[in-house]
Amino acid sequence: MKHSVNRPPTPDAAEDQGKEPTLQEIINIKLIESGEKERLMELLRERLIDCGWKDEMKALCRAHVKKKGRTNVTVDDLVHLITPKGRASVPDSVKAELLQRIRTFLMSAAL
Amino acid sequence: MCARNSIYTNPKPCKHLADYKLRHGFNTYDSIRNCLKTTPNGRTRVAKHTTKIPRCSFCDRYQGRLYFCLMCSSLWCPSHILLHTQSEKGHEVAIDMDRSELYCCLCCDQVYDPDFDKVVVCNQVKDLPGGSKSKTNSFEASGERSSKRKRLDSGIGLDLKKSELLVSMRDRRAKSCYPLGLRGLNNLGSTCFMNSVLQALLHAPPLRNYFLNDRHNSVQCRKRSGEKLCLLCDIDAISSAMFCGDRTPYTPAHFLYSWWQHSSNLASYEEQDAHEFFISVLDGIHEKESKIRNSGKDDGDCQCIAHRAFSGLLRSDVTCISCGFTSTTYDPCVDISLNMDTSNLSSSNANKPIKPDEKTSVSTLSGCLNLFTRAERLGSDQKLHCQNCQELRDSSKQLSIRRLPLVLCLHIKRVEHSLVRKISRKINQYMQFPFSLDMTPYLSSSIVRSKFGNRIFTFEYDNSNSSAAYEIFAVIAHSGMLESGHYVTYLRLKNQWYKCDDAWISEVDEGIVRASQCYMLFYVQKLLYNKANEDSSFVRISPRRDPFESTAGCS
Repeated sequence: MKHSVNRPPTPDAAEDQGKEPTLQEIINIKLIESGEKERLMELLRERLIDCGWKDEMKALCRAHVKKKGRTNVTVDDLVHLITPKGRASVPDSVKAELLQRIRTFLMSAAL
Repeated sequence: MCARNSIYTNPKPCKHLADYKLRHGFNTYDSIRNCLKTTPNGRTRVAKHTTKIPRCSFCDRYQGRLYFCLMCSSLWCPSHILLHTQSEKGHEVAIDMDRSELYCCLCCDQVYDPDFDKVVVCNQVKDLPGGSKSKTNSFEASGERSSKRKRLDSGIGLDLKKSELLVSMRDRRAKSCYPLGLRGLNNLGSTCFMNSVLQALLHAPPLRNYFLNDRHNSVQCRKRSGEKLCLLCDIDAISSAMFCGDRTPYTPAHFLYSWWQHSSNLASYEEQDAHEFFISVLDGIHEKESKIRNSGKDDGDCQCIAHRAFSGLLRSDVTCISCGFTSTTYDPCVDISLNMDTSNLSSSNANKPIKPDEKTSVSTLSGCLNLFTRAERLGSDQKLHCQNCQELRDSSKQLSIRRLPLVLCLHIKRVEHSLVRKISRKINQYMQFPFSLDMTPYLSSSIVRSKFGNRIFTFEYDNSNSSAAYEIFAVIAHSGMLESGHYVTYLRLKNQWYKCDDAWISEVDEGIVRASQCYMLFYVQKLLYNKANEDSSFVRISPRRDPFESTAGCS
């Protein structure tokens, strides 16, 4: 084999060239460029603290660390642990509010 | 459990980070110095590619966590960063782009380095408006620290052991072996609010010691001021009565009269609010003292016993949402009024499908303190003038405790005002509180530190002494309704709880105390608490009575 064993495999050629950005990507780019994404993230952080979501996740992490021992847990472990539960327990009101904000933004950006 | 006492035990760098630092010496973090960008809310991000959207070099992902390699500035998502480390030697350390935190790719874990934090913090301080000004706010001059040390020393000056008037002798007249100082107070007509606060005040270690050491001499006081009314003299009289050994309920009539003179607006036979009474008593003590000393000193430096015991300093940071400029003010306080953390229990969480194992539905003291120190966004109707933007802007406000008092009085606001129905209602919600309290997370040093993200960098005024550890010694509990309720005080003496219900004193189990509806909580610094509970078997020498009177002993 000519390639070095350690080199990661080349990604699929079709993926790379002539790749059309998806709608999701376009929206994301627009959000970042205008700085709206930063504001939305800040709003989201605020809401998640207010409704107690952050405290719940903290409690989950604490319980896990207590069980496994402080030196046997990594950040990656914790992220994998709380990601599914975290995503599922975001209150609907928070989701609705953010969606509304994004919609408003898109309407104003499209003009 | 952790063997060390301090909460912040700085984690050691992993082997890989240590090696990395050795290799690069002083230039370790130079590559990112110019890539750090701080947003107005205080978050520092790594923003090298200002034109392109940051994406993982392998899978093009732009969502979620991304890591920035310190060596080659390439970007990777968590799933693929290991590939990079394996293919390029020496590229072990990366930064979480969004949070500006170090990550070791080989340990797959976050690592910490004070030097890195220093770079981030300096950059943040430089970036935010009012850079040089906020520097003096965040990094206090050492002059203030030495005055803080002075205050602590004066606190120790109220120590029992320095007195010459105390005789170590057990009072054998006690009908039970209750510790000295426990004595009921007769209710003079809805005065349970007064009795409950007096019990708590008289057993606060600094005040207890103050009176027992005869620091306020009634005779000299009358000579000096010529006035007949002095709240301190009256409290001194009650203190003598409490500690003289007589267990029959005492009637604090003279004190009530004096207090009515001082707070004439509250003079009536109606039930008053215990907290309001507490504030007015401290105020009365202070007024008298400042008249005597003729000092116009502000509350922060006042040396009257009320302030020496209860005075603390609150810090308020108001941040402009648009530009990040923060203005900081300090206000002295004699207590902290907390709103109850009932928001966690409201129906906003009702539509969550998954309930975590831990109960979040109980109101706790730490919840209330968290609420108190949380950054609160002020409404659009409360726009403040930002010095940097030179106009009215939306802002957020955050409170923290700059200096803790010797005795910490926490007032739980249990009144709910309904603007719609124009009535006030009492919140009977149970609130859980600890007997040992660590106030470190609510200190300005902790709160301000957290504004810089997850740092282990030590700030100049980090309170490394253990004066943030408190022990509870009194609880004032309220039962009943707003207009017609009843106050009792639970006192903790030598690890035994006693219920002081006006004239009736009884021993109670700590479970009763925990289950009570707390209204005011009194904590004292742990050192003072331990000293106070070492040896309290003494009798104050009263000129009127023979201390060696023999009496029937207790069994």
